[in-house]
Amino acid sequence: MRLLLAEDDHELVSTLRKDLQGAGYAVDIADNGIDAEYLGNENIYDIAVLDLGLPERNGIEILRNWRSKGNPLPVIVLTARNAWHERVDGFKAGADDYLGKPFHVEELLARITALLHRSSQQPGGKLSVGGLSLDEAQQKVTTEDGHSHALTGIEFRLLRYFLLNPGKVLSKSQLTEHVYDFDSDKDSNVIEVYIRRLRQLLGKDCIETRRGQGYVFRDEA
Amino acid sequence: MQSIQNRLSIGLIFSLIIAFSALWLLVSINIRYVAEEYISSRLVHDAETLLSNIDFDQDSNLVIDQSRVDLVYQQPFSGHYYVIKTDKQSIRSRSLWDYELKQVAGNTQDQQTTILPGPEKQTLLVISRSYIKQGHTLTVSIAEDLNPIDKNIVLLQYWFAALAFGMLLILIVVQAIILRRSISPISRVHTELKSLEQGRLDKLSTDSPTELRPLINEVNHLLTVTGQRLRRSRDALSDLAHAIKKPLTVIQQQTSNSNLADETKNTMIRQTDEIYQLTDRILKRARLAGHSHSGALFSFAEDLPALITTLQMMHPEKSIQLITDIPENIHCTVDREDMLELLGNILDNAYKWAQQRIILSASNIDDSLHLCIEDDGPGADQENISALTQRGIRLDEKVAGHGFGLAIAADMVNDYGGTINFHRSEKLGGFRAEIILKYAYTEQ
Repeated sequence: MRLLLAEDDHELVSTLRKDLQGAGYAVDIADNGIDAEYLGNENIYDIAVLDLGLPERNGIEILRNWRSKGNPLPVIVLTARNAWHERVDGFKAGADDYLGKPFHVEELLARITALLHRSSQQPGGKLSVGGLSLDEAQQKVTTEDGHSHALTGIEFRLLRYFLLNPGKVLSKSQLTEHVYDFDSDKDSNVIEVYIRRLRQLLGKDCIETRRGQGYVFRDEA
Repeated sequence: MQSIQNRLSIGLIFSLIIAFSALWLLVSINIRYVAEEYISSRLVHDAETLLSNIDFDQDSNLVIDQSRVDLVYQQPFSGHYYVIKTDKQSIRSRSLWDYELKQVAGNTQDQQTTILPGPEKQTLLVISRSYIKQGHTLTVSIAEDLNPIDKNIVLLQYWFAALAFGMLLILIVVQAIILRRSISPISRVHTELKSLEQGRLDKLSTDSPTELRPLINEVNHLLTVTGQRLRRSRDALSDLAHAIKKPLTVIQQQTSNSNLADETKNTMIRQTDEIYQLTDRILKRARLAGHSHSGALFSFAEDLPALITTLQMMHPEKSIQLITDIPENIHCTVDREDMLELLGNILDNAYKWAQQRIILSASNIDDSLHLCIEDDGPGADQENISALTQRGIRLDEKVAGHGFGLAIAADMVNDYGGTINFHRSEKLGGFRAEIILKYAYTEQ
């Protein structure tokens, strides 16, 4: 899952980035409103955490601009201005969730997970598809036969992306985009290695290869 | 202080009564004077006619040629009389019959006018004068009854009084109409001020007489100034909140990620939480518009659905049915931001606790807005309920901000001079908050 963090406080960004990466997100940072709006329109993000008090262009305006262009990016608004009328205005502008500052990272992570599940029409709680269930906090997967396996960072990211998009054809570049952030070395061949690894863990049939198109995670058991 | 209209009316009534009474008195006196003048001049003529008909015989006896004397002096008690006196004789007109007219002192060259009682309760105007005819001195007193004239005068006085009274009434009515017309801008300003206070207007209309315009302009100016000041202070407070919370967030994040001892960590986090909550509460309180006017008012039709959507998005894990019972024509003049803060805090609390259902009802009773929010959650004990609105108290530390929001709501209601009460809901079994907000602020 690739996450856009639009926040101008560098100290907050540096701690948040670590926490978010630890939770298995590819994180890109925008420290001003204009960059944030531009990046949000790139169509590579699964979720955005948007601070409303950004320099150059404020968060509400960015949200409105995204929504008026039909950009459905799930957005969690993060703001110190947490009066109720500001929340209502935020939701009116198109926010999907809201978190007032100061906040606990755990709460932010929980809200991000919940929003990702919601926006891919998954029920709440653990992410489970076709007998598999993924513990997002522990970064472990439990297979149909009850075995659970710990996952490495990229494996977890990849599997979560598959589970949130079951039955869809996902190209290799798409997978790369949603698993790595801008700062990572991207080698699309590495994806194949991770897919092979996931197949070893979960069974050969769970990820189907569509030649020339990409991969599909089978959503029926 | 008395109303201007009453004072003007009373003043006018008094001055009109005085003016009309004076006029009445003047006219009455004058009419009588003129009538008496007229009568006495006629009497003098009659006296002269009488004198020309008087003769003295050889024995110096006075003889009157009755055939040439006016007939009215022949009819008994006709109201026209004469008495002629010489040294030897006193001759009465036949009309006097046997009535002895008290003679005024005779032997005067000058004409004397007196009023004497006459026969049959008549009041007589008597003119007496001495003449010398054929060497004899004689005094002629000639009289006429004033009663018929008096009757006319009284009638005239009545008519005049009636007319004056009628005019007085008409004048009072006319002046009342004029006054009401000229005071109507003031009454309009009065009703406008009332709507202003209730928030139905944000400005007084400047279409008014020149006398009132400076006042209205001043009020409008003050309104603009307070509006601007409110907006400025709200912006400043918002910025302040922002400025405080950003570093607080960083401190909190850094602390929880640091290698500090757990105890220190927890203390730091608790302290920053405390700072945050207190700042939040104080800032929210300071932001309240209260009964000053910032412009935008809360609309149940527009703002409530947005607030409910917001709440539902903030509590996505719950599927709560929020039932609203709000009349369509509900009248609400509470500032939009204040009302969102109030309802937001209380409904948020309800969302945290409710199982399935929340009922929000609102109604206008008299000059106030009644709100009632109840849920089907576990509710709170009576002792906790009283502690709820105290500063910073939390009922359940596990649910972030519980109780705190209610304290903010209570602050706001107090600021509006309203009341807030918490009970157990009879309908749903959970928590029930009842709020009464007064529109027009009354000092308590």
